[in-house]
Amino acid sequence: MKIPYRWIGEFVELRLGAAAAADRLVNAGLEVASVTPLAPAGLAGVVVGEIEAIERELGESHGHRLLLCRVSTGRERFSVISGAPNTTVGTRAAFAPPGATLPGGRRIAAAKIRGVESQGMLCSERELGLGDEHEAGLLVLDGDARPGQDLVAHLGLDDHVLEIEITPNRPDCLSVVGVARELAALTGSRLRVPAPALRESGAPARTLARVRIEAPDLCHRFTARVVSGVRVGPSPAWLGARLRAVGLRPISNVVDVTNYVLWERGHPLHAFDYDTLAERTIVVRRAGKGERFTTLDGQERVLDDAMLVIADPGRAVGLAGVMGGANTEVSAGTTRVLLESAYFDPVSIRRTSRALGLRTDAAYRFERGADVEALVGASARAAGLIAELAGGTLARGMVDVYPRRRKPVRVRLRMSRVKRVLGVAPPAAKARAILAGLGLPTRAKGAALDVEIPSFRRDLAMEDDLVEEIVRVWGYDKLRSTLPASAVDVVTHPPALHQAQVVRRALAGAGLAEAVTHAFGDPGRAALLRAAGAPEPLGLLNPLAQDASVLRSHPLEGLLGAVSVNLRRQQPDVALFEICTTYERAAGETGAAEPRWAAIALSGGRTAHAWHTPDAPADVYDAKGLAEHVLAALGVAVTPGGAGRLGGFEPDCHGTLVTAAGAVAAEFGEVAAAVREAFGLDAPVFGAAVALDIAAAAPAPALAYQALPRFPAVQRDLAFVLGAAPALTAAEIEAALAREAGPLLRALTLFDVFRFPDGRRSLAWRLVFQAEDRTLTDDEVNAIQARLTGRITGTFPVTPRSA
Amino acid sequence: MTHPRVDAVAQEARDAIASARSSAELEQVRVTYLGRQGALTQLLRGLGALPAAERPAVGAAANEAKRELEALLESRLAAALEGERRVRRESERPDLTLPGRRPPRGALHPLTRVHDEIVAIFAGLGFSVAEGPEIETDYHNFEALNIPRDHPARDMQDTLYLSESTLLRTHTSPVQIRAMLARKPPVRIIVPGRVFRRDVADTSHSPMFHQVEGLAVDRAITMGDLKGTLELFAREMFGPGSRIRFRPSFFPFTEPSAEVDVLCFVCRGGGCRLCKQSGWLEILGSGMVHPRVLTNVGYDPEEVTGWAFGMGIERIAMLKYGIDDLRLFFDNDLRFLRQFA
Repeated sequence: MKIPYRWIGEFVELRLGAAAAADRLVNAGLEVASVTPLAPAGLAGVVVGEIEAIERELGESHGHRLLLCRVSTGRERFSVISGAPNTTVGTRAAFAPPGATLPGGRRIAAAKIRGVESQGMLCSERELGLGDEHEAGLLVLDGDARPGQDLVAHLGLDDHVLEIEITPNRPDCLSVVGVARELAALTGSRLRVPAPALRESGAPARTLARVRIEAPDLCHRFTARVVSGVRVGPSPAWLGARLRAVGLRPISNVVDVTNYVLWERGHPLHAFDYDTLAERTIVVRRAGKGERFTTLDGQERVLDDAMLVIADPGRAVGLAGVMGGANTEVSAGTTRVLLESAYFDPVSIRRTSRALGLRTDAAYRFERGADVEALVGASARAAGLIAELAGGTLARGMVDVYPRRRKPVRVRLRMSRVKRVLGVAPPAAKARAILAGLGLPTRAKGAALDVEIPSFRRDLAMEDDLVEEIVRVWGYDKLRSTLPASAVDVVTHPPALHQAQVVRRALAGAGLAEAVTHAFGDPGRAALLRAAGAPEPLGLLNPLAQDASVLRSHPLEGLLGAVSVNLRRQQPDVALFEICTTYERAAGETGAAEPRWAAIALSGGRTAHAWHTPDAPADVYDAKGLAEHVLAALGVAVTPGGAGRLGGFEPDCHGTLVTAAGAVAAEFGEVAAAVREAFGLDAPVFGAAVALDIAAAAPAPALAYQALPRFPAVQRDLAFVLGAAPALTAAEIEAALAREAGPLLRALTLFDVFRFPDGRRSLAWRLVFQAEDRTLTDDEVNAIQARLTGRITGTFPVTPRSA
Repeated sequence: MTHPRVDAVAQEARDAIASARSSAELEQVRVTYLGRQGALTQLLRGLGALPAAERPAVGAAANEAKRELEALLESRLAAALEGERRVRRESERPDLTLPGRRPPRGALHPLTRVHDEIVAIFAGLGFSVAEGPEIETDYHNFEALNIPRDHPARDMQDTLYLSESTLLRTHTSPVQIRAMLARKPPVRIIVPGRVFRRDVADTSHSPMFHQVEGLAVDRAITMGDLKGTLELFAREMFGPGSRIRFRPSFFPFTEPSAEVDVLCFVCRGGGCRLCKQSGWLEILGSGMVHPRVLTNVGYDPEEVTGWAFGMGIERIAMLKYGIDDLRLFFDNDLRFLRQFA
């Protein structure tokens, strides 16, 4: 919210400059985002000039007559050429004498036009940087503008605008008076809000208008004043300038007054054209379901019965607290005005405003909580200004229907509580002075204070609220730094945190870089990653964008995007991992489960391009190996498993690792071509996903020492040639070898794979035999080897391959 | 003890040894004279054919020549081998300026580094890590934290909803609620985790980011304890010269509430671009746990008090490493990630 500093000065003595005042406000909890000069940057030396005479015409330029004028600045006279259509004798206008500068840094100097010297320039609004107006001509100033006076000062632009961000708990500060009250409390000044001296005459308001509240739960109070005989027209310059300074557009004197008072007092008002109201009666009621209503902005709105409208007996005339109606708008022909000042239920206003997507200054304040008492003063202030600026007579008094009278609020404050919460406390007298400065009267009541909460501080409801009031004015720098005195429990972190650290160290140690990706993604991509029959991913009700509308359902979803980023950015060798979460429907209060994964994605070269190592592309065995590496680091024993459950892999290149209990602890494979295309990946990508929750559930063997062997080991290599048919796997033969080799087998390693041109494969294993109680003889091991060879060739369609 | 028959052969062998130019030639000499068919060997073998009177003299001379030649060969061979080894090594001399074979070096994400650092600092102060779900109920994320439905305070955190009653948590604060519901005071936890807001990504906003929440509840916890703890944290995180300041603020779940700034470590308070000339950098929000929140979890605000704080891990990382665009964390450009190897 923008507030010109000098406006605040109308209600409190300003003892500080704008920047210093902003500082004080910040230190008391009002966030001042900026303090900026009100005058356009660069505008200097422009003064009020009076056109005393038009001496002669110099012909036309661009369709405008050029006039040579004599301009007075009081003490001096200037010969100035003007082409403005509104150049007339007696006009007081903005005049830039030689030496003045205009916004943008343009410096004015005497110049010859058509051979005649012009000593300076008469300026339009646009040239001064004060608005867009240019065609109408000079910026014409009020009759009270004194020639020679500095224009910036005359327009009240020698000021600073404070941009204040008000937290939702402080609607009382959404006004000039509210900020003035805060500043008064902080600087020890007094807040002065003069009651307007109203000249009321004619019939009492209650004979001119009737108000009926049919929804007292939503409208706690409604007041109406009537002003007759107004002349609707433009606002005076000072009013227009103030509204522009706070970012509002002047419309007409009556409407501008309601906006002005909204800014000054913080209470939204609405002016109706009195003569458009049927039976001079206001009815505050719920809208009908499906009732149609056209708001001031010309939009037809469809209402529902949770919304509150201001109506006359025949139709709605306003959307309560949000926006007035087009049917009763104050227009150029309006002569009588009914001025509404009311209080509406914040929740109802907020729901209405959100449901209709109609966020207005009025709704903003009502939904935060208006001041049910101060609305009377706001009404009087506006009525007085309308009468002053638009003429007319003010009816006596006002109609005031107040079915839900505010109950007084009192809060007990113990100084011991202040100390308990803060660790320190000011003396009680200081605390009382602080509260009094904020407009909170106190009475001593035993050891405690009895604090009266005024209607403008809806946020203060309990003792600790007052503790905050005291400390924020007293100063947060008064807090003393201490450490909690309580006994410290043994620090215990969740196992998942430890597990994630182990995985991160293992994978970063293996040369991968850790990624962090967004948890939502594109439904199209998610669909390609989804296995047949798998549930739909969880969707967001209000996503920011379509491509971020479903939650991650595949552990590689984020990483593939990261691979794509790197490939596009000339980083072809990618080895990334991420500890991530997928989201799926489940029973329970959140309706979801969030399984955790270690995801791995590889593309491009396996190793850095270097002199000592031949370049080789990463392949599926890298992905598998990293999954095995992670599981080994976690102490989880796995064996090759069957089909995987994740989608997104090439069906012929997708494997799993399963725990002893048969749970799939990891899946790996080559990313399917269709998926790569969707992610814009034009190089092969290999991925793995380790299911961290499964891994956590698998029993990790406790570390225990095994005695080192005392007798030598004997080593044998066995090789078999497999037919071209792909059905037989290495794992099957290996399992058979392990099973058949007997108790002396210590290690079994597949060390060579060779593919013949005709498609047959040769697989070679190294077997290590060792006994605990003797040195094995060659004969003994030869016998085992022969038996094994026989078993394998007898069981599988393989032939032994001689070494 | 010499003998003409032996001397001639011995002299020939000595000459051959002297003129041999390599270990291979020396070996050849050894074979020629001392080998199975060697001249000296033959001579010794032929002793039996000599007259008995000559035998001892020739035998002795031949044996002596053999010992002498063997010793000579031995020493010449060693010298030749050493010379040859030198030549060979010289020709195979490694260029030690070639790059070494390094194992690949991975990298932990900068957010992980900062996360680990924060967790370690608070673990040292007796705080255990607690975790909670990212998909949360409206109750835990908002209502229990004193943010009722239809309250403007909800505008402070634009929310991504999954349903009327479930959402992506907008802060780690719901874990406060879960932790307090699960145990009795004293409570001393920190809660790192992903959080979500309905914010379009730009240099300083992201629809997903990370927070660490801290919570301490006990019989005599004060706001002074909050200040002292955070001062300690700032010194650990940003260096021993760090200073912090508290500014009043508003969070629905704390009362009183405070924004905490750390003295700008670039300009030390003088004003610079990093701190936008203010001299201070905002790092976290904090406050005393609102009595209504304590009541909501079944604690008695007259019995216990507590404080809580929440900070953005990205914010801390940006300050610590001088990162100027929040989106860099989630692009995962390897040239960025490898800077944190």
